[in-house]
Amino acid sequence: MATFTKIVQISRAVNNVTKLFTNLVLSQNSGRSSTFIQRIPTFPCGLIHTTSKRNDLMEFFDDPKNWDKDKIRVGRSWRKDELRLKSNEELHKLWYVLLKERNMLLTMEEIYKREHKYFPNPERIDKVEDSMANLESVVRERNKAYYMLETGTTGERPVTLKYNPLGLRYRYRLRQYSKPKHANPKWHKTHKFGYGGCAVFKFLRLYREKLWNEKRKSRNRQMNRVATLMRIFPNLDMEAVKEQYPLVDIEKVKKLRKTDGHFVRD
Amino acid sequence: MRLITTLFGKLGEWSKKYANLPDRYIDRISERVLWKSPPGKPQYLNRKIVANRKLYYSIHRPWTTHFQFQNWVLKRRQWYPLEPIKDWSFFRGDRVEVLVGPDKGKQGIVHDIIQERNWIIVQGLNTKVVIYDKRKNFPGICRRMELPLLVNVQVKLVDPFDLKATSIEWRYTEQGEHVRVSLRTGRIIPIPVTSKETIDYKSPDIYVERAKDTTVDDVKELTFEAKLKTFEMDIMDKMEIKEDRIPRKSYWY
Repeated sequence: MATFTKIVQISRAVNNVTKLFTNLVLSQNSGRSSTFIQRIPTFPCGLIHTTSKRNDLMEFFDDPKNWDKDKIRVGRSWRKDELRLKSNEELHKLWYVLLKERNMLLTMEEIYKREHKYFPNPERIDKVEDSMANLESVVRERNKAYYMLETGTTGERPVTLKYNPLGLRYRYRLRQYSKPKHANPKWHKTHKFGYGGCAVFKFLRLYREKLWNEKRKSRNRQMNRVATLMRIFPNLDMEAVKEQYPLVDIEKVKKLRKTDGHFVRD
Repeated sequence: MRLITTLFGKLGEWSKKYANLPDRYIDRISERVLWKSPPGKPQYLNRKIVANRKLYYSIHRPWTTHFQFQNWVLKRRQWYPLEPIKDWSFFRGDRVEVLVGPDKGKQGIVHDIIQERNWIIVQGLNTKVVIYDKRKNFPGICRRMELPLLVNVQVKLVDPFDLKATSIEWRYTEQGEHVRVSLRTGRIIPIPVTSKETIDYKSPDIYVERAKDTTVDDVKELTFEAKLKTFEMDIMDKMEIKEDRIPRKSYWY
């Protein structure tokens, strides 16, 4: 009798597994009008508890109630100030909650795309990503504080300013090697810093001229724009103008002929 | 944060208030990506080339397809003179008087704000007729469409004391509040409650929590304790993972 019950249980389990596979196969069929098949509970405990524990692939999909909705409303993302209140363990858990949510949203986006339908509220992905970025920065902040106390450095990957062969400055992110620098000839071959030669100096001169021309042009453009604004709007708020056009000398612009409008200035 | 915001300035605070969308989404949806490294291919670095062209703002909002179409077409737009404004003083739900056009002298409620152009849209005023679906044997459907109004020239706020148009000034009260004051009567023009309204809720304090939202008490709960540990060390202690291997000597260069 015991063996018989065991066989029955095994056959049930196999049946469940096959059902799961059929679900997977059917859900890839994009030609049908409704691809989402009702999930068959593989866990018998799911029927006992109020919230069913789902450890299967259906966790990559949204709740079936939301499948036909046009709008799915959610709150805002986690802010840094709120995350700073939480312990490391809670942040660790929250990271995985967010990661699962993001996976679910990206899967649903792909499914809606296959179905040629609009994905409802795509900003949910950005809200989750915002929260994840905030969480990561809070964790970094804590680690930095520890390293600053203990070692006096930030504990982050070090960065130095270097010149490339064209004479342009850039941030070189240092790497970790097992050999010291002098014993690593391959590194010296692949990492060339510094510049020289008349061609490079000529390039740099022309490059600086280009940068200066851009700056000059933007200053002139800003001056012309402020003059036009002064001509059109008699009651300009000069503080606001100065904030928006920082390169402009307003007293100089006021003397321009362009600034005169068809009204009497007091 | 993003290239777009640094180069061309941010979208106005009040023009995106009602839509209640995160900045990251607005940037993502309105930037014009010319090339992106293909997904799922590790041989490519995660790079993106974005057209650094100035975005053209009109009555269409950046998260609409109209806006994307308008910005997709390569067209050199003329610079439009825009008076810089320090404190924005027109909010959703304000009563304003129209000073120009066929509806001159009429009062209406502010329906929409487009801060990038110094525009507001007043409900039911300053309209034009648009005929949709006109054919040979069908006269078409007429619809009135509101046109935007310039805030500094074409509209004025209405004083709630005598219901007449006034110019205003921002002042501080004795309690330190920043308020709008009518220059004619010297009365405070209160900021309407509807200015806080978004597409998701009428006001923040009557927001109904959804299934996936964290409750306010859970958010405000303080569980952080300062310890002399990094995040990783703390998690390893909690999970009882012991790390006693000594790393080999390494060189940074």
